[in-house]
Amino acid sequence: MCVGLSAKVIKVQNGTAVVDAFGAKREVSADLLTDLEPGDFVMVHAGVAIAKITDDDDAETDALMEELLG
Amino acid sequence: MMNSKTVTLAHGAGGKQTSELIDRVFKAHFANPSLTADDAAVLTPPVGKMAMTTDGFIVSPSFFPGGNIGKLSICGTVNDLACMGAKPKYLSCAFVIEEGFPMEKLEEIAAAMEKTAKEAGVEIVSGDTKVAGKGQVDGVFITTTGVGEILPGVETSGYLAKPGDAIIVTGDVGRHGCTILLERENFGIDADVTSDCAPLWGTVEAVLNTTKDVHVIRDATRGGVGTVLYEIAGQSNVGIVLDSAKVPVQPQVKGVCGMLGLEPLYLACEGRLVIFAPKEQAAAIVEALRKEKYSENAAIIGEVTDQHPGKVVMTTEIGAKTILPQPGGELLPRIC
Amino acid sequence: MSNEKMTPVEIITGYTGPKLRIMEVCGTHTHEIFRLGIRRLLPPQVELISGPGCPVCVTPVGFIDEAVMLALEYHATICTFGDLVRVPGTKMSLAGARAEGGKIQVVYAPMDAVEYAKEHPDEQVVFLAVGFETTTPANALAVKKAKEAGITNFSLLTANKTMPMAYQALKGSADVFLYPGHVNAITGTALCEHLAEEGVSGVVAGFTAKELVAALAVAIKKGGEGKPFFANAYPRVVKPEGSPEAQKLVDDMMEACDSEWRGLGEIPGSGMKLKAAYADYDARVKFNLPEVKGRSNPACRCGEVLQGKCKPSDCKVFGKGCTPEHPIGACMVSGEGACSAYYQYGGIEL
Repeated sequence: MCVGLSAKVIKVQNGTAVVDAFGAKREVSADLLTDLEPGDFVMVHAGVAIAKITDDDDAETDALMEELLG
Repeated sequence: MMNSKTVTLAHGAGGKQTSELIDRVFKAHFANPSLTADDAAVLTPPVGKMAMTTDGFIVSPSFFPGGNIGKLSICGTVNDLACMGAKPKYLSCAFVIEEGFPMEKLEEIAAAMEKTAKEAGVEIVSGDTKVAGKGQVDGVFITTTGVGEILPGVETSGYLAKPGDAIIVTGDVGRHGCTILLERENFGIDADVTSDCAPLWGTVEAVLNTTKDVHVIRDATRGGVGTVLYEIAGQSNVGIVLDSAKVPVQPQVKGVCGMLGLEPLYLACEGRLVIFAPKEQAAAIVEALRKEKYSENAAIIGEVTDQHPGKVVMTTEIGAKTILPQPGGELLPRIC
Repeated sequence: MSNEKMTPVEIITGYTGPKLRIMEVCGTHTHEIFRLGIRRLLPPQVELISGPGCPVCVTPVGFIDEAVMLALEYHATICTFGDLVRVPGTKMSLAGARAEGGKIQVVYAPMDAVEYAKEHPDEQVVFLAVGFETTTPANALAVKKAKEAGITNFSLLTANKTMPMAYQALKGSADVFLYPGHVNAITGTALCEHLAEEGVSGVVAGFTAKELVAALAVAIKKGGEGKPFFANAYPRVVKPEGSPEAQKLVDDMMEACDSEWRGLGEIPGSGMKLKAAYADYDARVKFNLPEVKGRSNPACRCGEVLQGKCKPSDCKVFGKGCTPEHPIGACMVSGEGACSAYYQYGGIEL
């Protein structure tokens, strides 16, 4: 129901963050996340960073599969 | 001398101002022996078969990263000729200009046309200018008509795709559409994307110099590569298998599409060809293409089959198969 | 099946257990499942049912009618997500209203509508606030920012919805639910864990190919074992507590209300509207809109499709009168609507 985009934070100021997804940059609201820093990864929906996330890495899904299915 | 800073209705009235506009802007940029003040151009016919095409250009905005409507109006028509294996020879162009359009911008458009025509090796031999009242058109509309000479031994057509053909795209897809979308709409997205708009006769010539055994060449404009694949599948009544992972897409374009929920395969290109040729020729064609400046990222993206005629089937990133949805309707960014 | 090295795809294709009905609640999952060709991997005894989690699909006809009325009769500028532009209303869609001279502006984010209002002080700007728990905070934030900046020509036409009541209504229509990961990112997982205690199984699923396939493999493997369970297969984004900040923001500014779902009818307490303190930003209050009752095309079976009671292809108008180019029902409009997905990706055996 909700297109989400994982993106890297490159700048943070006054409640907003500039995020970068493969070189496409956009200012988004950072109101919902405290202590966001450049270099963090976030999930963005409708112009708002809704969650701080770990980078999309395959190893994590693999580890999870081990745990849930093993 | 013409001092006007903008185009006025008087410039379209056919009198003194019209002549000034033509002299100052168009003749200055398009001058060649075939372009005269007579009612029609007098030309030497081509030796072999001839191709002819026409196209109208309206683009908002008229200026965009990577080009403007002038460059586009030459590329579009020249590329349509090239797709038929025709070396572009002559071009006519008709302008409809909105009253109040900045003269400086018009000169810029004409200069881009001159430069692009020169690169494409085509002569602008005839033209027309009309000025429409404020609000009747948006900026400037251009219609170009082109004539080209088909190289001997070449026969390309959308009806000629055959099972066993490889499908080649000459570069990364979706750049023009992405550029225009970002320029026109106010989505607040900042991305280093420029239009791929380019004249492609040189690209086609490089292919035909490698082999004349080419079945289809089509430029992917409105509707993008996805639309071309469906057009050809329909015209030739064949099935197409697309390997989605092989389609080149610039990372920035991918990023913008990710933000807006769009599919790069449906975004317009203005400098990309889709080529269908027998599988045995494909490697040589790609090798030749990669030496040309507008097709350095050429890639084989799929093949033609006798299964599921009229449909495009895609191999997805998990190795499963699915139908590529048929493009249609207005491209709208989505949230869900 | 003792081999621990089986890949998720192998778990899915190799499933030999009892019949299993899995409902993907979220429309984005529906879309991705089709786009990736996952349905064609499933063994015959696993059935995927597309649920009601597409905000466009469950938005009632009357909401579109209200927006069209605001555009054409009240001359408001409508700012909207692109998804809603082609959804049919009783008489016309927003695209139709645009053709009649209505001002319809597609935006990427609710905040962009506030920005637009700031730049166009002589226009009344109304943002169409649709969406579930994931999107509602963005709507609330837009109002908060507008109020702080003293922007008064901005308001929301709300149709925000919440999932808990819908889960109750859907109980029993599937053996395992694939939960919408981005809703859980806001709400957390407490409700889903509680549902498991009541016997309703589910897996929180992510959205990349790998995440989605992994979640489905978990749903199939654990679902096949028959015991009620809950699993979070999207911990990269979804924390058990969700987003306390988003929850607080929405609690402060909005309150529950009854809400009409296309197809499911009115579900008490399943909607969200602005609290009285923000009435100036509620378009219905601001423009004193009359109550609008929409009328959907009687042949359309979107309602049953949304509840998983019938397949899109069971509907008489599917693919005939109703196509993505000329949609009759909302499920054909949205890229993630079940009808649209069936129409565009279905059709031939591969």
